[in-house]
Amino acid sequence: MSRGPGPRLSAGKRRALVAVSAIIGLASAAYSLLRTSHPVGFQYLAVALAAVGFAACAAVAWPRDGGRGGGLSGRTRDDDGGPADRPAAKWHALCLVAWLMPRSAGRRWLAEADSLLSEMPAARRRAAFRSYLLSAPRLVAIMWVREVSRRARLGPRRPG
Amino acid sequence: MVMRLTVQVQLVLQALLREPGSEMYGLELSEETGLQPGTAYPILLRLEDEGWVTSRWEDIDPRAEKRPARRYYRLTASGAVQASAALAAARRPTGIALRRLAGEGGNA
Repeated sequence: MSRGPGPRLSAGKRRALVAVSAIIGLASAAYSLLRTSHPVGFQYLAVALAAVGFAACAAVAWPRDGGRGGGLSGRTRDDDGGPADRPAAKWHALCLVAWLMPRSAGRRWLAEADSLLSEMPAARRRAAFRSYLLSAPRLVAIMWVREVSRRARLGPRRPG
Repeated sequence: MVMRLTVQVQLVLQALLREPGSEMYGLELSEETGLQPGTAYPILLRLEDEGWVTSRWEDIDPRAEKRPARRYYRLTASGAVQASAALAAARRPTGIALRRLAGEGGNA
């Protein structure tokens, strides 16, 4: 199998790098939100670290020669049949972000993203996809704050 | 809770207020406001948390329609009232701006 110019990460190493970057980013964002005694500057720094972490995810997951059209979850393809990993790589990046969220919130976010991106004109899809990824660190933190608040309101579960 | 009205939030509220009783889905809102979906989604979540907006999944068979179901958003009754008031307040010039205008009126 011929390879393009430059080294490519194996799928396993890429997944590991994405997972580590995402965990670092999420931990930074969560830390900034939980430690409210810290000055505001540290909170923004933590969010920035989270953004860098997710940017690393996007850089690794992004197809090298740019994606073109096609359904996000692989339901449709370009006329020329494009490489199989283009739409899959984008979909996997969104799945990773959804996995980092609370389960129900992540499912809803992913389903809405799939719906919107599949109906969006191909020329605008790339920018939309990028906007989803760039907003991911902050959104993951927001989702977890909402989930923790919701559970605190519900109170501890009673046995029986 | 007081909703912080950034420009993006105002755009979303204006789009939803265009036809208060009707529903809009994500792509429609994105096209109407000019906002990317990654920007609009947290705003819609916050509006839902505040009770200004409610949402529902479209009731279709994705296989028959050959597309995923859409998520529709619309303003609640109280949300429409509060959104209108909030947008009106946002457009009103602040006291400081008015004083500056009055002070600079002779220098124009």
